Amino acid sequence: MHAVLELPATVAAADLVGLRAGAGALALALRSGAAIVAADLRTPAPGAPDELAHGDAAVALAPPRDGQPPAATVLAHAAATEELLDRWRAPGEAHPTVWDERFTAGVLGAALASAARGALAAAGVERPDHVVVACANGRAASAARRALGSDGADGELERLTGHTGAAHLPLLIADALDRAAAGETILALSGADGADAFLLRAEGAPGAGNRAAPVRAQAGALAWIAYDRFLRWRGLLEISGAKRPDPAPPAAPPSLRTRDWKFGLVAARCTACGTVTTPPGRACASCGAVDASEPVSLRDKPARVVSYTVDHLTPTPAPPLVVAIVDVEGGGRRSVQVTDLPAAGIAVGDLLRPTFRRLSSSDGIHNYFWKARPEAA
Amino acid sequence: MASNGLSDRVAIVGMGCTPFRDHWDKSADDLIVDAVQECMASVPGLERDQVDAYWVGTQGSGMSGMTLSRPLRMTGKPVTRVENFCATGSEAFRNACFAVASGAYDVVMATGVEKLKDSSFSGLTATWPPSDGTEVEWTAPGAFSLLAPAYADRYEVGDAQLRETLTHIAWKNHRNGALNERAQFRKEIAREAISGSMKIAGPLGVMDCSGVADGAAAALIVRAEDAHRYTDRPIYLKGMAFVSGSGAGIAAEGYDFTTFPEVVAAAQEAYAQAGVTDPRSEIALAEVHDCFTPTELVLMEDLGFSERGAGWRDVLGGVFDRDGEVAINPDGGLKSFGHPVGATGLRMLFECFTQLRGEAGDRQVEGARLAVAQNLGGQPGACVAFMAVVGTEEPA
Repeated sequence: MHAVLELPATVAAADLVGLRAGAGALALALRSGAAIVAADLRTPAPGAPDELAHGDAAVALAPPRDGQPPAATVLAHAAATEELLDRWRAPGEAHPTVWDERFTAGVLGAALASAARGALAAAGVERPDHVVVACANGRAASAARRALGSDGADGELERLTGHTGAAHLPLLIADALDRAAAGETILALSGADGADAFLLRAEGAPGAGNRAAPVRAQAGALAWIAYDRFLRWRGLLEISGAKRPDPAPPAAPPSLRTRDWKFGLVAARCTACGTVTTPPGRACASCGAVDASEPVSLRDKPARVVSYTVDHLTPTPAPPLVVAIVDVEGGGRRSVQVTDLPAAGIAVGDLLRPTFRRLSSSDGIHNYFWKARPEAA
Repeated sequence: MASNGLSDRVAIVGMGCTPFRDHWDKSADDLIVDAVQECMASVPGLERDQVDAYWVGTQGSGMSGMTLSRPLRMTGKPVTRVENFCATGSEAFRNACFAVASGAYDVVMATGVEKLKDSSFSGLTATWPPSDGTEVEWTAPGAFSLLAPAYADRYEVGDAQLRETLTHIAWKNHRNGALNERAQFRKEIAREAISGSMKIAGPLGVMDCSGVADGAAAALIVRAEDAHRYTDRPIYLKGMAFVSGSGAGIAAEGYDFTTFPEVVAAAQEAYAQAGVTDPRSEIALAEVHDCFTPTELVLMEDLGFSERGAGWRDVLGGVFDRDGEVAINPDGGLKSFGHPVGATGLRMLFECFTQLRGEAGDRQVEGARLAVAQNLGGQPGACVAFMAVVGTEEPA
């Protein structure tokens, strides 16, 4: 994330992992003023109850920019930590194992109640205007919602997205901020390794701080896929295609040398003729001027399809593999793998947006780079 | 600063070319020995020790000059290994020509070899240096498939007409290859089997793709004035050019995928050296790089055989059939003769040599005096291009 956002080296960045990571990151951010990105890809075994009850999401929460009003203020945070054998996965295991939820629901329910009391007391609030509960244990979540007075909106969203793991608490907060009027309070609970409770006060109009589309609108934009395709995407069903060599994994030194390009999609604009060259190098692809360029970011720029092909030869977990030549608005041409394809495919002239995705995994290295997705998707 | 060329300064006096096949029973060593032996046998009286220097082109079937000297257990001779994508065989030939023309050697041999069928992969593969992992992996059919829709779009050719054109190219090349014992695929293919073949990339079906094959080829080259010491029917190099692309076509805006600018530049230079001003009427036959059917279509225009936008009509009109105005790929081309990468450029010259000497039998192009060998490597927008014009006319 740090590299993709082209942040200065002096900005610290760290990973938190685990089901409580969303709540943990938020608690840390309150003390440090950090931005947090919470993302999770759930890995229940095929056929496990959680396969239907869980889902994937990514949410970012950031402190206000200079001079901007905040979307919300956090009035209090309270924790109720509990060592509980409820859900575990040893390193290398593909899927988690879950203890009988009827037992763990009681323990997590008590922790949620305790944390909620703590936060409300610390903020001096008796009855919050909104209550959202994030807990992978569905029984515990339902009970806490009833007990604390949720209006059911959090449960409704969860039925669309599933429980989204470490992203779920930030996801429910973002959704609550889409709905809450200025001055209204939100009690946001996370039940994982015990519980965390955050009491927030919305500071702007509903959704004013959300720089993306409303959470409910995003969650409601469903596209159905066949189950075998889902399994392929997840690497749970290996299919045989044309016999081709595995993609070579990226090497460390070149990946570091070209980090501005690889992670930030920063190309070179020629100071002599203005042409943008990709990948950036010493010489301009148009006039050949050497060492006469300035960096230009293509990361946030749309690009138009010049030509494309559907490649049936290269094996991919998400066939068909569509590769396009695109011209970037404002200059630059790239060869890109197209992702999030609509059923109708793409056409010459379509507008695509860069999206940072995994190209391949080999030798235990996930190779991330910038694909492109249709603008409307 | 000038590219003075070697027009009429060197001659091919002997050649050899193995059949291009799935040579399950032969190694790269075996194939190159076969090609060298046949090449030597084509010049009776010449001993291998009298060949002063050698070049061997291979894309991935060997490293160093020992790719040639070790299988022959040849001692005391310089051998240079070259690689230049799918134009590797032509590059071996080109550098060998410079060596005799300079006077450094009197007799040289250019060879090329590729052993592709020992891998169980589909299509061509290559080993690249370690990288940052940001390059999109274009397969060859994926990259070349971009030509077809771009051409159709620019010249307003309908889907059905485009399909018919590409089918004709494959049909023609298989028909030519059917007459060639050395070709990988030696039978005619029905048009419906071509147009309905399993899709590989974009509009390209498997029958739009050239054959992956094993093979080797070799040429003996001397200075033009010495040619008749070795044969009564030498073939003279009339023009030769090579252009290495900048890759700008896929690195910056502007390129539209309906032409190979590198090929156009190489062709212009080679034609100028050869004094060719109207290729369609002056060239009897051309071996061109039909790696995929749309490549051959675009090349008809890049090589000046068709006006821009008219190539598809000429193809359908039979202009490039073996009995047409310019016989294109009379030996079957990459499509039906097969494409062992390092050998292909020399295979093209082998057909020119055979045709110009009137030795092509059933597929002989009558009255052939001037021929083109055009070989390219890479992908549209980022390629290397070789072009040679060879002929029978004695240097003045």
